[in-house]
Amino acid sequence: MVLLGTLIAAAFVLPLWWTVASALRPQRETFATISPVSLWTLVPRDLTLGNFTRLFDTDFAQAMLNSAIVTLGTLIGGLAICAAAAFALAVLQFPGRAVFFAVMVVSFLIPFDAIAIPLMSIFRGAGLENSYLALILPGIGNGFAVFLLRGFFLGIPSELTEAARMDGLGWWGVFWRIYLPLSRPALIGAGLILFVFQWQAYLWPLLIAPDPEMKVAPVAIAQFAGQQGVDFGAIFAGATMTLLVPLLVLLFFQRYFTQSVSASGVKG
Amino acid sequence: MVTTPDTRTAPRSARRLGGGRGRRSGRRRYGDLPIALTFLLPAVIAAVVLRLWPTARAVWDSLRSTPLGVEPTRWVGLDQFRWLIDDPAFLNSLKVTLLFGIIVNPLQIAVALVLAVIFNERIRGAGLMRTLVFLPVAIPQSVSAVIWAVAFRPDGPLNGILDRLGIAPQGFLTSPGQALPSIILVVSWIGVGYWMMFLIAGLKEIDPTLYEAAGLDGAGRWARFRHVTVPQLRRQLAFVLVADTISNLLVFAPVQILTNGGPNGRTNLIMNDVFERAYTQVDVGAASAATVVVVVIALAIVLVQFRLLSRGSD
Repeated sequence: MVLLGTLIAAAFVLPLWWTVASALRPQRETFATISPVSLWTLVPRDLTLGNFTRLFDTDFAQAMLNSAIVTLGTLIGGLAICAAAAFALAVLQFPGRAVFFAVMVVSFLIPFDAIAIPLMSIFRGAGLENSYLALILPGIGNGFAVFLLRGFFLGIPSELTEAARMDGLGWWGVFWRIYLPLSRPALIGAGLILFVFQWQAYLWPLLIAPDPEMKVAPVAIAQFAGQQGVDFGAIFAGATMTLLVPLLVLLFFQRYFTQSVSASGVKG
Repeated sequence: MVTTPDTRTAPRSARRLGGGRGRRSGRRRYGDLPIALTFLLPAVIAAVVLRLWPTARAVWDSLRSTPLGVEPTRWVGLDQFRWLIDDPAFLNSLKVTLLFGIIVNPLQIAVALVLAVIFNERIRGAGLMRTLVFLPVAIPQSVSAVIWAVAFRPDGPLNGILDRLGIAPQGFLTSPGQALPSIILVVSWIGVGYWMMFLIAGLKEIDPTLYEAAGLDGAGRWARFRHVTVPQLRRQLAFVLVADTISNLLVFAPVQILTNGGPNGRTNLIMNDVFERAYTQVDVGAASAATVVVVVIALAIVLVQFRLLSRGSD
């Protein structure tokens, strides 16, 4: 079983391993090491960072920075908005809660990519194209994150809230001092969902931020690869950078993400 | 995305929704409304502005025609949809999307299920292995597509491997017969780790005594898988089936980057068709009508999900 698992995991990683290996070898060897295929296809013989230095002579550095800004903005804004909504839906009692819940469910059943093109018309009408705001906004309202957090919040004993309310703590205090500190795993899970959504984003940035200054890394790499006389070494270097970020994030938060997908119910 | 299994929390929320506590003091009940709105409004506004409004906008735009993206627009009613149905390119994209879906969805779910069972075992390093299988999910699809584009080249590593095995080089993305299977390979490499995680979460919730009981009855590995694992995973499988089908309906970056719909429209999945209409042909009306078709298909798939799940909870 261990052997089988290792082989499968290796098969999934192989293309990425080859990507990193190709990023670290001189550009002239990219294809030279392929035919015939040998161990040297996967192991760079002469290590070099030349691909990375050439990459950063292009506007890719700006694209990486844009991706980082947009992803961080999404994480902060998205967690705040989704956690607040989840708190209202899980803990507060108010008339019309069922209606709000229904509106959220129906809205988030509509896949974002499907309506990206009409949304572009709306954003352009509002003069939002080529802005960080336009890139961040679609990432912050995430139905999946809201429902994950709501499920977790529902599992927190209401006695805690009642006691705190008795002691005169306001709802913001309950949210901030009781629910958020107790919900670290769910917040990390929701953060992972937001991160993956935004770090991936391709269609929307392609539509709304065509300006070279505003390009995000996934778009920059795709367009880079589409040019005449492609610099494959630099492309592999760029791919390596965009894959190292999620690799590190996932390795660091490994134990949280089974929880994050099993969503509600685990602790409930 | 919404209907992840949620049964355990249902009784609690039902209790809270129940009238008893609320009726006790009407003043306090309404007293929560302003604070609830401040918590909720940002998300509700995001939902309306980012999902409902553009959907309404797509419907509205689909009823009008804006030739070459230049004003003035004129009202054409349902003509856009009639034109779409008469457009062989659109019909082709529907056909390709259907064929793609029929192959890719069962394939991905079967693979994800097998992977889930393997990586749910208590083996050393299972966590790391899972992470590695999941990794392609978190990498931008456009980047994965660019990597695979190089891999599929005539002088790329896949042909390099075939060469070692003494097999003639293949066209892959340029071959009419191999282009769609190549896209399926890439999309599955990207996606199965994601669906695997949902199924692993489901496997963890299965009561181990069920396996013990089956073992006492003399059930082998396969029998236990068929008679315990699969029925117990019904809800997760239904969810994954629907969520996967929708996500495969929306595949875009790999197609646009690897084949741009070619050769000869063989891989022109519907999102690539919509994008071409909006971006290259600048035909807002037709793109909007095609968008409406995609949204309707997606919602129809979700309705099927509700059917499957409500039957599953009997």
